[in-house]
Amino acid sequence: MRRRTILAAGGVVVGSVTAGLASRLPTAHRSLSAARRPGDAGEASTNAEPLLPGTDHETTLYEIDAPRDGPTAMVFGGVHGDERSGIVVARQVAEWRPDAGTLVVVPETNRVAVENGEREGVDGDLNRHFPADREPLTDLARGIWDAVERYDPDVVLDLHRSLGIRGLHREFVGQAVYHSPDARGEELAAALDDAVPWYLPFHRFAASETNLSGPLLFQKAARELGASAYLFETTEFLLDREARVELTRLAAAHVLDMHGLLDAEGER
Amino acid sequence: MNPSVEALRRIATSPATIGTYALLVVPFALGWFETQLFSPLALPGYLLFSIGTAIGNALAPRFEFWIYWAPFLVGCFGIASAVGAGYEWWCGRRSA
Ligand SMILES: [Zn+2]
Repeated sequence: MRRRTILAAGGVVVGSVTAGLASRLPTAHRSLSAARRPGDAGEASTNAEPLLPGTDHETTLYEIDAPRDGPTAMVFGGVHGDERSGIVVARQVAEWRPDAGTLVVVPETNRVAVENGEREGVDGDLNRHFPADREPLTDLARGIWDAVERYDPDVVLDLHRSLGIRGLHREFVGQAVYHSPDARGEELAAALDDAVPWYLPFHRFAASETNLSGPLLFQKAARELGASAYLFETTEFLLDREARVELTRLAAAHVLDMHGLLDAEGER
Repeated sequence: MNPSVEALRRIATSPATIGTYALLVVPFALGWFETQLFSPLALPGYLLFSIGTAIGNALAPRFEFWIYWAPFLVGCFGIASAVGAGYEWWCGRRSA
């Protein structure tokens, strides 16, 4: 009896470890490899400049110009300072080499909040400071918005993470893609779901068209500049840091790919 | 020994009880520890834990999710004991 019991428990452990190792998240995505390799049309040029120089909020903006003409995309990390996956991935995106267009990246948008590891900086939640028909509410929000207006992006992607899952946990918004009406949110969610194993069904991504009258940065960019805008949310619920970073990186690569900055097919 | 205590002891130590408990908890715990270790075997534990947090979060939104390990472990033992009781009853009927 005792021996059978131990065998039963041991079998479960061995079985689940083997199954787990055999079903790793797929990482070999075309758009990701395209993002990492320099384009064949020549080297992109990178330029780093300070936003809000000389203030507490001073943060770095990276502008990467591809050798070919194309759309302008802006990627933001650290609008909420404790959402590390977005910051880590935005820093990586600043080293990517698009094949066409201009890639603009601000990895630590709310730098004070990032340094403190807190959601909000000194003036509250930065992602509520971009109301309709008014100037942004704080110096930081105005400084960020000035840069957005200057680049007049065709595409905006803001990287976030939530604690729970949208639709499962009230008031949480994880594993979701919020997007402006003209953006390709459904397509992005479907592409991300390729990386979510079938046996984690609640972690499948939901696409949700956003109401453009709100005070969020990506909503203002869609409303006032006509950008195709996305707000990406992964979750901390049952996902470790590595998985969150991987999903966030995939989201960034797919957005750039869908909007023509990357040449994922290897030809154009 | 009291026959009903003996029956409960037999259910609690039944291979069916312990096997079910391990199947619900171990694969899920591995995935909790590291996402890469999630496997199809973790699905029952994953569903129980996720639905448990959804109910808990709807009733009392302020708890962090790790709190739900306690009711999860108790609930899994309840399910495992039911399976073990069924198994012992079936064994008893066969040998009768
Ligand atoms: Zn956020």
